[in-house]
Amino acid sequence: MVSKQNNNIKRSERYPWLISFLEGWSIFRQNLLGKIGLVLLIIFALMALCSYIPPWINPMYNPMTGVDPEITSCTPPSLRHWLGTDFMGRDILSQLLAGARIAFMVGISAAVMSVVLGVSIGMTAGYMGRFVDTLLMRLADMIMVMPTLLVVLLLSAVFGQLSIWTIVLIIALFRWPGVSRIIRGQTLSLKQRPFIEAAKVAGASHFRIIFVHIMPNVLPLAFLFMTFRVTSAIITEAALAFLGFGDPGTVSWGMMLQWVWKTGHMFQAPYWLLPPGICISLITLSFYMLGRAMDEVLDPRLRREDQTD
Amino acid sequence: MHKRDESVLEIRDVSKIYKTRGAFFGSSGKDVTALYRISLDIFKGEIFGLVGESGSGKTTMGRLIVGLEDVNSGEIVLDGREIVGLRGRAQKEFRRKVQMIFQDPYQSLNPQRSIYDTVSEPLKIHGIGDASTRKDLVRETLKSVGLSPPDDFFFKYPHRLSGGQRQRVAIARAMILNPEFVISDEPTSMLDASISAQIFNILLELRNKLGVTQLFITHSLAAARYLCDRVAVIYRGNLMEVGPAEEVIRNPKHPYTQALLDAVPKFGHDRDAKRYGTLLAKDRDVEEDAGCVFFPRCAAAHEDRCGRKQPGLSQLGDGHFVACFRLEAMHEA
Repeated sequence: MVSKQNNNIKRSERYPWLISFLEGWSIFRQNLLGKIGLVLLIIFALMALCSYIPPWINPMYNPMTGVDPEITSCTPPSLRHWLGTDFMGRDILSQLLAGARIAFMVGISAAVMSVVLGVSIGMTAGYMGRFVDTLLMRLADMIMVMPTLLVVLLLSAVFGQLSIWTIVLIIALFRWPGVSRIIRGQTLSLKQRPFIEAAKVAGASHFRIIFVHIMPNVLPLAFLFMTFRVTSAIITEAALAFLGFGDPGTVSWGMMLQWVWKTGHMFQAPYWLLPPGICISLITLSFYMLGRAMDEVLDPRLRREDQTD
Repeated sequence: MHKRDESVLEIRDVSKIYKTRGAFFGSSGKDVTALYRISLDIFKGEIFGLVGESGSGKTTMGRLIVGLEDVNSGEIVLDGREIVGLRGRAQKEFRRKVQMIFQDPYQSLNPQRSIYDTVSEPLKIHGIGDASTRKDLVRETLKSVGLSPPDDFFFKYPHRLSGGQRQRVAIARAMILNPEFVISDEPTSMLDASISAQIFNILLELRNKLGVTQLFITHSLAAARYLCDRVAVIYRGNLMEVGPAEEVIRNPKHPYTQALLDAVPKFGHDRDAKRYGTLLAKDRDVEEDAGCVFFPRCAAAHEDRCGRKQPGLSQLGDGHFVACFRLEAMHEA
């Protein structure tokens, strides 16, 4: 009887995230920027998935090691190589596809790491307050004023070639302060809300207050930040690679640009220069547009929560 | 209804001072005294009203009792046990006994948690019952605060509920642990008058059926009269008058209580039916703080006596205490 009644309640009513997701989606659908961003992203995701196909068709399409036995120099697009080949006869299209995979990998993993770090540090600082707050926020200030690119350059000069994961880690370590500042502010304001005090009066532990009451209320903001962090991580990695400090074992778009520049094909082979350049611009643009659209989705929702509907 | 000698909560000489922090170093600003040497007894099974205007320290009193803030001096004793500065297990045990209903039902429920989650949370925290007994308890409690059928509310979220329903949920959350003592901090100030009356009746029923002792914090003497057995009138952190609710409102002795009663709108009576007129139209200039806290606004004050010294509470009749020199003089005469 009771379970029957429960089933009568609409399924969506039982999951607040489902409602807010559907609500958010309907706002998102009206947002042109967001739609363009999403479509672009889907295209890039397909590219990343397709990166496994060329080497499987023919080993000479392997982006890193596959060399066309008949070509030893840079050639313009042909039927055999849709986007042409680079200076040693490697297929540019398959490099471009592999680059998409690396971009997603770098962008998303660095963003996730920096947001996880930023959220936990921001919540700790906001919740504990006092000297812990001061300590963590001064640390954040210190890291925030350090230019990421310069530090990574210095590190790679000291330790030699950095692997792609080291680069991701460094980007994450230098990109959390912005997130933690915002999350700290949100935590500070949540901490004063009566529902936290009500939980305290009920006897809730700090652990419970942080994870059950505060965290679900800051997560939407954290997700928003993730999209912006992806953009900055991809750009940083591309810049590093272009400057010659990338991981030589990976084919990223930045690496491709570096090869173009180093071998002196900058103005001789536009078919080699343009695709990675355009891809970097478009993928960062698409994440940015997605972030802007999500901003618009999340903002009124947050506002509506504060008001009393 | 209650036995005079059995006090559940004793407040002894409690003071709370907020230090305003200067911009950089230490405390350079003026300290704000929220409560000044308050002593009260609350008896078993009664509803005790704490009446005062905004900023009088009445909410602070409630927060001190539930331990959301620490007292600066004095002690609060519940069932013979000192409760100031409890930690760990003793604090958790105390949390089961004393619960609070907050002022703003729109802010006191977590928007991300369903009604069932919210109401059953205290049970989870204190490890009471298993899943099915908790469900029964929640169902019962929701029914007792007038949310029925309770199962319809289990998976609803606060934003789907009206203010009155939310406040009922907040009451259910406070009541599910079966506490001895409940503090309600202006539980109806955000609600319509008709909903307020329903909430008052729920509180009354809790007292009558379960014998829950309550501290009811309000700015409205009318609400206090309807609900409370005894009331205390507080002004700027000082007790002005304490006594049986009916007595204090019918026969107020303190000029501040009289001024409060003047401020209650009266319908259907002559405009000038009965007014005490104890409030000065323009505040007096006072150089020193040594006198009665109400002195600057008191029309009945005696310049040199009331401006110099603070009157203590003195007993007038059966349990009726007033802090005013005028009364002392009347008594002596």
